[in-house]
Amino acid sequence: MTFLLQSIFNGLLAGCIYALFAMGLTLIYGVLNFVNFAHGELIMWGAYFLYLFMESPLGLPLPIALIPALCLTILLGLSMDRFAFKPLRQANRLTLLITALGLSFFLRNGAQLFWGAELRTYGFEIKRGWKIFNISITTNQIAIILTTLVCIAVVYLLLHRSRIGKSMRAVSDNLELARVAGINTRRTIRFAWIMSSSLACIGGILLALDTNLQPGMGMINLVKAFAAILLGGVGNIWGALLGGIVIGFAENLGVLIISTGYKDAIAFGIMVLLLLLKPPILYGSQD
Amino acid sequence: MVTLLEVKDVYSGYGKIEVLHGVSIHIAPREIVCIIGPNGSGKSTLLKTIVGLIKPKKGSIRFFGSEISGKDPEEKVRMGISYIPQGRNIFPTLTVMENLEMGGTPLGDPSRIEMAIREIFERYPILNKRKKMKAGSLSGGEKQVLALARASMIKPKLILLDEPSLGLAPKVIDEMYRQINSINQEGATFLIVEQNARKALRLAHRAYVLDLGLNRLEDTGEGLLNNEEVKHLYLGR
Repeated sequence: MTFLLQSIFNGLLAGCIYALFAMGLTLIYGVLNFVNFAHGELIMWGAYFLYLFMESPLGLPLPIALIPALCLTILLGLSMDRFAFKPLRQANRLTLLITALGLSFFLRNGAQLFWGAELRTYGFEIKRGWKIFNISITTNQIAIILTTLVCIAVVYLLLHRSRIGKSMRAVSDNLELARVAGINTRRTIRFAWIMSSSLACIGGILLALDTNLQPGMGMINLVKAFAAILLGGVGNIWGALLGGIVIGFAENLGVLIISTGYKDAIAFGIMVLLLLLKPPILYGSQD
Repeated sequence: MVTLLEVKDVYSGYGKIEVLHGVSIHIAPREIVCIIGPNGSGKSTLLKTIVGLIKPKKGSIRFFGSEISGKDPEEKVRMGISYIPQGRNIFPTLTVMENLEMGGTPLGDPSRIEMAIREIFERYPILNKRKKMKAGSLSGGEKQVLALARASMIKPKLILLDEPSLGLAPKVIDEMYRQINSINQEGATFLIVEQNARKALRLAHRAYVLDLGLNRLEDTGEGLLNNEEVKHLYLGR
């Protein structure tokens, strides 16, 4: 029983992080109509940027280090678009896919060159945390859940209450119509990158808090995010949120049945199944 | 005669495929001009070229005498050109209210947008009733009303309308043409592309027949309706 409860809690935790990744990924899909396979590297660099500011010589405390880390990740996201994807707006999906994959390799190896391949942590001591219903919960984990809730609320408010957020949803719905309605689509796309990069950075930091930092952390989790957006309907932000949480639960409850060694296989399994059932998602809706 | 819009010898198309091979039309203020022609004659391409979604390869497009062929759609809306594309002409996941807000983007100031929406609601009470609903869940006729309302948020001088009757029931089409007529009475100019041309021609002051990307005929709406060749080739018996 305790094991079950612990698995559910772990599932929620993983689900929160996947949801943040998936929401960022689907935002970009919405406005630009392609899956940014370099999103994982925004996640990873976001986490490392925080590390950069928290380690010596700077040694800033987390809440302060978060600000420059967030800014740098946003800058990285915007540069990605400006230098890699923007010149290819008229290109076909395959070109974009290959570009994103190339960018992903480049950024991952770049991080490895900088920080090495070894595991790193932010250097917090692992605290015992509390025991509730016999499951152990650490402060970090509470922080992960709360941060996710705040992010979801901010995303909701931006998309449904702010002018730029509504414009972004309009661009996702129909780019041409948005243009002829007079919406500044370039600004809107930039805003989507800012939101997507911010979610990636925060998600990456939370992931690193829960586990550790390594250059490959983005890539493996991007697969989970990708499975989540397939599950939730590509381009649908609330579907992505839900999809992320479902994947988190599926993985952590799946280990009750199969060995933990196969944990990652569950997300892959869901993804393969979805692609077999609804193959058009990979190519996007043509209308 | 004063011209609102003058399209002169325009060549345009998608990538290497040229669809318009030198099309010319002109529209006077307050006119309703209709373009008819078979599938693939370049009617929609002409509208897209005028609004700037496609840049012409050659030729000139003048709006109130100034050249606009190189401008982006975002700029042209600000000049008072509204475009309602064929079929997908609303934002389905946005609410009716949000659709109108988006249509009001060029107005800038939120209070001006709010005022324009109030006027729209007075004119189309059905939209007021549905304002919180997702636009995608409206009926076909309501969607078309919303599309027209979205495009009139900026009080445009020229409205480009692509196949407004597509997929609508005859009664709904009649209602829509009544709306077009009343907006026209208030001063807006219309350029309408239609494949089911009878109703549009009855309303239009003037009309053009486009065929294979070339001008074929030009006459009053009435004139084309009674033209034997047009009847035979484009209207069907």
